[in-house]
Formats: sequence, C-alpha cells, structure tokens
Amino acid sequence: MNIAGIGVVFNRGRGVQSLEKALEEGWVPPEDSTYSVPADTLKDKSVLKEMRRADDFSKMACLAAYDAFADSGLGDGVKSSLGIILASAFGPHVTTFRFLDEILDYGDANVSPTIFSHSVHNAAASYIALALGARGPTLTVTQFAYSFHQALIIAQAWLRERRCEYILVGSTDQCGTVMEYICRQKLRLAEDGKIKPFLFSQTPYAVPGEGSAFFLVTEGKTEKRYCSVLAQTVGTPDMYLLDSDGMAGDEKCYLKIAKGGIPVASYTPIFGSMLTVSSFSCAAAALMLKKQRHYASPVQDNPFGANICRLTEEKETESVACVRHNCGIERSQITLKR
Amino acid sequence: MVISGMGVISACGKNISETLNTFASGRRNGSKVTLLETKLKYPVFEVKGLSGSDGEAMRTLELAFAAVKQALEDSGLEDKLNDFRIGVCLGTTVASQLNDTDFYREYKNTGSAPLHSVERYLKGNLAEAVSGKIGASGLSCTVVNACSSGTDAIGVGLSWLRADLCDIVICGGADELNRVPLAGFGSLGVVSDSLCKPFDKERSGLNLGEGAGVIVIEKEEICRKRGKKAQIFLRGYGLAADAYHLTAPRPDGSGLEAALARAMDEAGIKPSQVVFVNAHGTATPDNDLVEGKVLSRVFGMGLKFLSTKGYTGHTLGAAGGIEAVFTAIGLREGWVPQSVGFEKADDVIGISPVTQKTVISGQYAISTSLAFGGNNSAIVIAKG
Repeated sequence: MNIAGIGVVFNRGRGVQSLEKALEEGWVPPEDSTYSVPADTLKDKSVLKEMRRADDFSKMACLAAYDAFADSGLGDGVKSSLGIILASAFGPHVTTFRFLDEILDYGDANVSPTIFSHSVHNAAASYIALALGARGPTLTVTQFAYSFHQALIIAQAWLRERRCEYILVGSTDQCGTVMEYICRQKLRLAEDGKIKPFLFSQTPYAVPGEGSAFFLVTEGKTEKRYCSVLAQTVGTPDMYLLDSDGMAGDEKCYLKIAKGGIPVASYTPIFGSMLTVSSFSCAAAALMLKKQRHYASPVQDNPFGANICRLTEEKETESVACVRHNCGIERSQITLKR
Repeated sequence: MVISGMGVISACGKNISETLNTFASGRRNGSKVTLLETKLKYPVFEVKGLSGSDGEAMRTLELAFAAVKQALEDSGLEDKLNDFRIGVCLGTTVASQLNDTDFYREYKNTGSAPLHSVERYLKGNLAEAVSGKIGASGLSCTVVNACSSGTDAIGVGLSWLRADLCDIVICGGADELNRVPLAGFGSLGVVSDSLCKPFDKERSGLNLGEGAGVIVIEKEEICRKRGKKAQIFLRGYGLAADAYHLTAPRPDGSGLEAALARAMDEAGIKPSQVVFVNAHGTATPDNDLVEGKVLSRVFGMGLKFLSTKGYTGHTLGAAGGIEAVFTAIGLREGWVPQSVGFEKADDVIGISPVTQKTVISGQYAISTSLAFGGNNSAIVIAKG
C-alpha cells in the first residue's frame, strides 16, 4: 500500500512542514520535563468546530488525521470509502483521570457525562469520522509496544479485502501529570531532556512525549505519493530508523542492527518517548524517501561507533526500515520503499 | 472460515451448557451490585463465583481466560497450539483503561502512590495477556471500539485469516463490571433502575453486565486436516461509521444498514436467507428505535430477532463476542430463547422480538453491535 498523505501533531508543531523543519533543525530541549504538545497547536476553529468540548487526545488525533487527508489532495468524493484506524498505547488516560476526579470529588451519581464519553478509547476515531464525514469502517486498537504496527497490518488487510479504498491510519498518545509520574517511577528520565538513542543501554534515557501521526494509505493511484509500505521485507534497507526512546526498557538489542554496517538514524529525541513513536519514525522515513534526503540524527552520542547518519544532505534512498524492540523480547519492523 | 471452538461466560452461565439452561428457563440473574463499592442502585448482571480470581490479574482477564479455555477445549487445540500460527484478537473497554480509583486517590492526595495497579494494568493488555498465557506465536491485537469491540475483534480475526497472516485466530471480547462505566453510563441517563426491556415500548435503559465470549476461527483446510468436523462458519463481517454524534446513533440507521449490507455481501447471501438476528438491543430508547427500524427495513416485518441483553446485561466490549457465541449456538441447537424483558410492542419501532423459545431452521444468522461514537458492526454466521 502507498502513503499518500501525512499529518502530525507533536511538540514542535503541526503538519508535514513542521515535521520537515524539526528534522532539519535537529534537537532542541523541551520547554518543560516532557515533549508536550503546545496548547496553541491544538487551536483550529475550522477543523475542530464540532469539537468544542473534546479533550486534547481527540483534538490531536483529529488534527493529524485531517492534515493527512488534506495532504493527500484527495477530494470529498472518497469519503464514503474512507476508513479510520487509530492506534494508542494508553488511550485518553488524562481524561480517564479527570473522570476519576469527578467520582472522587462528587460521587458516582454526580459525574460529568461529557468527561466520561471522552474517556472512551474510540472517541477520537469517532471525532475524526465526524470531522471528515468518513463513513467507512472505524477501528481503534491498543497494545503497549506495537499498536501502530498492528494498525498498519489491519489497514493492509482491509485494503486488500476492499473493505474500503482509503484509510487514515495512525497513532495518538498523550502525556499527563499522572503518566509523567509513572514514567518517573519506572523509567530513567533524562534530566537534560535528551534521549540518547545510540547508547544501547539496558537502562536507557527517556523523556516522555505526546502527539499524533496519521497516514492516508491506499492501494490505488493518487496524485501525491510519499512511498510504499511493504507487506514483506525483502533484502536490506538503505537505512534503519531505530525507535530507541527509553520507553520500552533494555535497548541493547538495537546494537545488533547498529553493528551491521547499514546507516542508522533515530529521531526519537525530536518526538519524545512514546510507545507509539514508531508512527513518527514512519513519517520521518516517508519524508526522507519523498525528498530523497537524509536528516542528521538529532542526538549523536555514539560510544559504540555505530554508522549513524550525521549529516543532513540530499541522498538517493530506496528503502528505510523503522525498527521497534520491546525490551529485547520482540521486534517489529516497518519497511518503506521509494 | 470455520468456527471450531466456542467459550462463553456471563451472568446467564459459566459455559454453554449453563447458558442454554438459563435460556430455556427464561431466568434473569440481574441483581444489585456486589462486586464493587458504589452508591448507585442500578441492577447489574454479575458473574458469580468466578474461579481463579485472586486479585493478581484484572478481572477482565480472568473472564477472558475462562472463555478462551472453553473455546480451546471445544476446538481440540489445547495441546496443538505450537503447530499453528495462532493469532489473538480480543475486544474490551475496561481492561484498556488505567482507571484504578485507589491508585488515583492516593496519587491525588499525596503526589505519589504505589504502582501495583499500574503494573497489573501494564500486564493486562487483553490480547497480549491471553496470547502470553496460552503461548500463541501469532499476531495479537486488542480492539477498543467501545460496545462493538467484540464483534470488531472477530472481524479483524477474519481479515487476518483471509490475508494469511494466521492459521487460526482466537477472537471475541471480555469485560468486567467496573465503577467507571457504571457511573459514566449512569451520568448519560441510559441506565435503567429496573431490569432492562429491550425493544419494549416502556424500555428505560440498559443494565450493565460482565463476561467474555470467544470463538476459535480457522481456515477450512486446516480444520479438515486436524480431523475436526466443520459445522459452524463465520461467513462475513461489516463495519461502518455513522459520522454523526459521539453518543447517539444516526437516526436514519444508514451506518448499521451499510454494515449489514457488507456482511451479507461477504457471505454471498440475501436478507431473506437470514433466519434470525441476535440484535444489539441495549434497551435504550435511541438504540432500539434505530436498530429496530433498520432490521424491519432490511429483513422485513417477519424477521425473527432477539436481544440477549435481558439475560446478560450490556457487557460492553464483551458483548460482540458473547453474542457471536449465542448466535452460533442458536443455529446449532435450532432454537433461540425468548427476548426476555420484552412485553409491550412499540409502534414507533414497528417490529417486535420473539416472545418465547423459538424454533428456527435455516442456514444463516446475524449478530449486530452498535457502539458509542457511531460504530456499527455485523457478522454473518452459518450452519454447514
């Protein structure tokens, strides 16, 4: 299947242009202890006109999906055959905690129905369908390490079954104060705000992040096209993007790839640590393939001498593989081809 | 694809045999809440005496494990799991949320809290946990499509098999009774103070329940090679969005109609070939009105249909899995139970469910699920 459009919402802004700018600029420290999405990024009266009461999780998802659709250049005519698959590790947990506030402060009989309805995992996908008028299949899936990968697999299967012709597939995850507390207890947070993806440490540095990345995918021909997503990996890619972000424990397992000689890069220091960071890596890889451009790894601490991508430069590239490990137990790979 | 195994646990029975007894008797096991502390007085449908519930795993997982165990026994796969690429796709709502009130109360009051419940949650992704428990080596995915999660998980399983990503898929749904949805649905004004009355003129809302329903689906050739007789089949799946409202169904029912059309198209059947529909039938005014109108429009006024939520309550993410099993056993046994709770026909809906144990004969039946956010799902199950 092909990627025909991309939309992202992250710490550095919204849209493909923001992504490209961030990749060109490289690492900048977060303004606070997490790579959170600035409130201004989530203001858009046009797209969010039906979402005045929506939470930030739904807004992030909706804006990213809307932008991916707009980026594809497809018109309204395809919306009857437009599916949506949203992946998330934790769902709208910030809203869930707001709902628990209601229960604890006011009692079970006096809680807010609005907050409850937004605490449901699939509220965001429903808002996307509503904002775009998409009447195809709509699905929300969750897994801790590989939810975006699962969503891509389902998207590919749906397109081949002709369940729909176009799919907005993407991920959304949020970081609130409770999640930051949990991360602080369970992970080694980098006090300087710097994820160091090439340390390949058993106790890697993490900096919690949040955001949403969506892709318009189709088997059909479209005017705009970034790259193909391969169902099967054939041969070796020109570059590996490592999703080492300190979020999934032991990162020694990435060293085997890094020692293989093929160039590696990691853009997790730009996006922050998220279990769904693979979708952002996928967006970066798609941009690399479209622009035929390599972007320098934003943090280059490299004690093992891996063949890391050090420079931002034009470079012919046929394929890029985004790799995610889950504490060394499992590995998942998304291969994108020019 | 063959449905080679089934497992179910709900307030109307901890297995298929107990469920059939309850169906035959028309008994309803709704009662006041005993599983959690709440001042809410709504009746609920709890699973009593759940074995293996030691507090170490989330209750949703225990319910799922119970149904999966039955389904694997039924399919004859218990000791053959290593021979196949086994996928696990399960739907849930509660198990996907980090919503432990004790943890959160302590965090809120002190700025810190022990992480036991967080650890339990992190080990509790439904499909991952089941996959790990049985040692499945294939794909695993948890569907969180609210009340259609179980049906959609079955649909994803079907897609995996068609794409040859797995040989066999364990799919369905599980959910526990939990304070958050109880308070939340109560706040939406859709919970009844009395036992629910699906499709009744005086219906006043749903009752929450809990349980799990799981089916094992596999390619016919694999089933045949295993020496397992193929009797019941999953023939089609449809899913369509309303794109209308976060909590209300689209009044014209066109989303549900599209889902039904797709499911029947995949099965290669016409509406006249459907012998009964196990409807979503939550007993909320809006759901039953829209669903009833669509059923009469698509299948005609003579359709035999029922809601089994009068026996189980609304089990949220489990409902689609549980009702897939109920639909399959209805076809297999040749009868469906009375749509318990229904007494007075609603002229506005214009169609009424079966009011007594009803003999059915024919090949195809449908189970529908409608969900929060405007998801509409349908599966076609067939007798061989």
